[in-house]
Amino acid sequence: MADIDNSILSVRKLDVKFHTDDGQVHAVKGIDLDVRAGETVAIVGESGSGKSQTMMAIMGLLASNGRVSGTARYRDTELIGLPERRLNTIRGAKITMIFQEPMTSLDPLYKIGRQMAEPLMYHKGMSARAARPRVMELLKLVGIPDPERRINSYPHELSGGQRQRVMIAMALANDPDILIADEPTTALDVTIQAQILALLAELQQKLGMAIVFITHDLTIVRRFADRIYVMRRGEVVEDGVTEELFVDPQHDYTKMLLAAEPTGTKAPPPPSAPVLLQGTDVRVSFKIGGGFLSGPPMLLQAVDRISVALKKGQTIGIVGESGSGKSTLGRALLRLLPSEGRIRFENLDLSKADREEMRPLRKELQLVFQDPFGSLSPRMTVGQVITEGLLVHEPSLSTKERDRRAIEALKEVGLDAASRNRYPHEFSGGQRQRVAIARAMILKPKVVVLDEPTSALDRSVQKQIVELLRKLQADHDLSYLFISHDLTVVRAMADYIIVMKQGKIVEEGQTADIFDNPRHSYTQTLMAAAVDTTKFRLAG
Amino acid sequence: MTEAPTVLPAAAGIAPVDGEMALGRSLFQDAWRRLRRNKAAVASAVVLVVLALAGLIGPMVAPHSYDRIYPQYVRVPASFEAYPKEDAIVPAFESALARARITIGATEVNGNTVSAPISDDEPLDPRITRYLDRSDLFSNVRIDQLSADGRSGVMLADVSRLQFIFGTDNNGRDLLARILIGIRISLAIGVLASAMALVLGVTYGAIAGYYGGKIDSVMMRIVDIFYSLPFIFFVILLVVFFGRSFILIFIAIGATEWLDMSRIVRGQTLTLKRQEFVQAAEAMGATTSGILKRHIIPNTLGPVVVYATLLIPKAILLESLLSFLGLGVQEPLTSLGLLISEGAENIRGATWLLIFPAVTLTMILFALNFLGDGLRDALDPKDR
Repeated sequence: MADIDNSILSVRKLDVKFHTDDGQVHAVKGIDLDVRAGETVAIVGESGSGKSQTMMAIMGLLASNGRVSGTARYRDTELIGLPERRLNTIRGAKITMIFQEPMTSLDPLYKIGRQMAEPLMYHKGMSARAARPRVMELLKLVGIPDPERRINSYPHELSGGQRQRVMIAMALANDPDILIADEPTTALDVTIQAQILALLAELQQKLGMAIVFITHDLTIVRRFADRIYVMRRGEVVEDGVTEELFVDPQHDYTKMLLAAEPTGTKAPPPPSAPVLLQGTDVRVSFKIGGGFLSGPPMLLQAVDRISVALKKGQTIGIVGESGSGKSTLGRALLRLLPSEGRIRFENLDLSKADREEMRPLRKELQLVFQDPFGSLSPRMTVGQVITEGLLVHEPSLSTKERDRRAIEALKEVGLDAASRNRYPHEFSGGQRQRVAIARAMILKPKVVVLDEPTSALDRSVQKQIVELLRKLQADHDLSYLFISHDLTVVRAMADYIIVMKQGKIVEEGQTADIFDNPRHSYTQTLMAAAVDTTKFRLAG
Repeated sequence: MTEAPTVLPAAAGIAPVDGEMALGRSLFQDAWRRLRRNKAAVASAVVLVVLALAGLIGPMVAPHSYDRIYPQYVRVPASFEAYPKEDAIVPAFESALARARITIGATEVNGNTVSAPISDDEPLDPRITRYLDRSDLFSNVRIDQLSADGRSGVMLADVSRLQFIFGTDNNGRDLLARILIGIRISLAIGVLASAMALVLGVTYGAIAGYYGGKIDSVMMRIVDIFYSLPFIFFVILLVVFFGRSFILIFIAIGATEWLDMSRIVRGQTLTLKRQEFVQAAEAMGATTSGILKRHIIPNTLGPVVVYATLLIPKAILLESLLSFLGLGVQEPLTSLGLLISEGAENIRGATWLLIFPAVTLTMILFALNFLGDGLRDALDPKDR
């Protein structure tokens, strides 16, 4: 950059290494970075690119096995190697941070007001009482409704979006020069995500601080950032002004990231295709509370009278935000949760089937989970994981035969046959999701419920998984129930879409109809939040 | 407040680049490598192996049997020097021979033999050698150079040199041999009781946690009832019904220790069963026993292994307590707890009786605790 004179944070040759049991991990490889007063800089990269570790290193928050070299100057102070005591006068006051998980970044034992007063008490020496008006002011600033009441709430009483607002308010408490936002919206629903981004943009305009925005999602950045650094494997591969970078990316990796959004559409199955799985008036309710002395339990209707008919070869996309009951519906249709209403699979009525009766049918009805880290048992080899279903459904198979089937299934999902002897923790997220898919496919099912199978993955990996799922569907004439909050993925995968909110269907129809002509206001909000590309900020 | 949640680099997504992954390395292999790097844990493991071998083989190769009584050597202090001491040989020889009522000349000690000219008015009765033979000090007693009339000769005896490097107890038994057998008994009880607690607790806890709901409530209330039974009362009850025996002790300890284990495993199971891999197995149609066997129990093993290593010292201490109260192993068998209790009674006159067993027990407990700590660190690196 030419005019680095007015940069308030200037990083040169920053290098971060971690000493681990597997030898040295070179997380950040000598990067240069500048942040000027009042601008928004985005650092974009997929997981493992070192984008978060860069900022952690600058803030002196690395894990104990990390080593930093290079320089990071904030105005006239060198941050690297600064003694903790001096560093604390800067971090939390002049440079502040917000994190991805609003659930875990707030201490559940303290009231919001008390927690927000803490940076003021620490950096400005205020008493808790004196800090209160300022806390109130901050809560109003970040748009928390009813701040007089919320100031006395505990974190669990707030929604995810509100908690993230509180985090932002805390970061703003001491009028920072730089706000570092580490994936601040990743854990939030799309509509909330848009609200938080708009809030950040608005605050920046009002208060004039610089924002360093760390994210894996290029689409967000386009609407938000002035300049972008693209990181990959600890190096900055490209940097530049946002518009230029989007219009004319130079590096192959940037081009790949830009093209990583899954594309294509799915044609609906022929009208004559038989209905495989049908749910009529499905209801699932959960008991909340209740027990020995606490009176009758409350009933929560997680799924409220929903009817679905999945045809052979069809993909139904179920869209909704967290808590809309979409995962619950998927599980209820597979009879993994007790439910009311009628569920039919082929010619069998499953409504009353118990565990034993369901067992032979499990082979046909498979489920793939969201989290490829949680859905594979860490103590089993990949081979054991994927052949477990064979043990249940085809117990007569010899060990050798099972092994052959495992190799076959792994090849089908694009993994090496040798990987069956390895353990899940040795694989990347995308590879693990392939293993999870292989586990479902080895049984040759007819219906697969895919519960957010791509949500935990990087964009470029998402695309590969989407393509894999499409290929498998074409090869085996599978029917998918595709549950997701991510509209771009759903658009590429599904030929029919059901939009859910609070346990009810608000809209359903062919994919193209829903996307081109959303009728329900909720669907319209969802679309706007996900697809809109207009800039958050007015020019200037 | 702006402190970051400290994330290990691996968790933060900086996993080692693919490509350089060696063939299948399980979590346990990883833990094993970490454990080997922990010097305290490795040293503890070595100490434990040495002590376990000492308990197993020691009693067979030790110079004295643990129940052999040496009346002449009651409460001799610990010493590397062999008994009898040089200056004690002649008086012992003379006092033993004095009972034969014969005239004894100048006694001489010559290496390992002691000799004295003897004479009497009557012909010497060869049976007088028995006076010396009875003593633990002398062996191979014989009368040499017997004169023609049989009234004088030289009494010869080999001095048996015995070593009691840890001294002897009140009954004149070698403390080293007793400590070795004590190690064997204590470790055996510790391991067996822990194994019993492990099997019972893991099975019970896993079942209660996995089924949940009413079954869980009932099973855990049963545990609570067992908790409320005083341990000593329970043991006395068992002893009254079945009499004192070795098996009873470890059953009694195991039967009380599994309660903790079952609670730990139940807690683990409750979190595990919400994990997606368990749900995946359910969606696969796996049976309950299959899920428990393949998914739940292997994944609880980390904390369980750690707790088990801490359980062994607990069982050893409980056994010591029982033995101390006289409900434990029976004489002449002994355990470290029993030895310590005897040592405590003799602390004024014979400190070695307390010091040596106490040091041994402390070593075992330290080693087990260090090993347990090391295992916890190795199995759960995030907790450090």
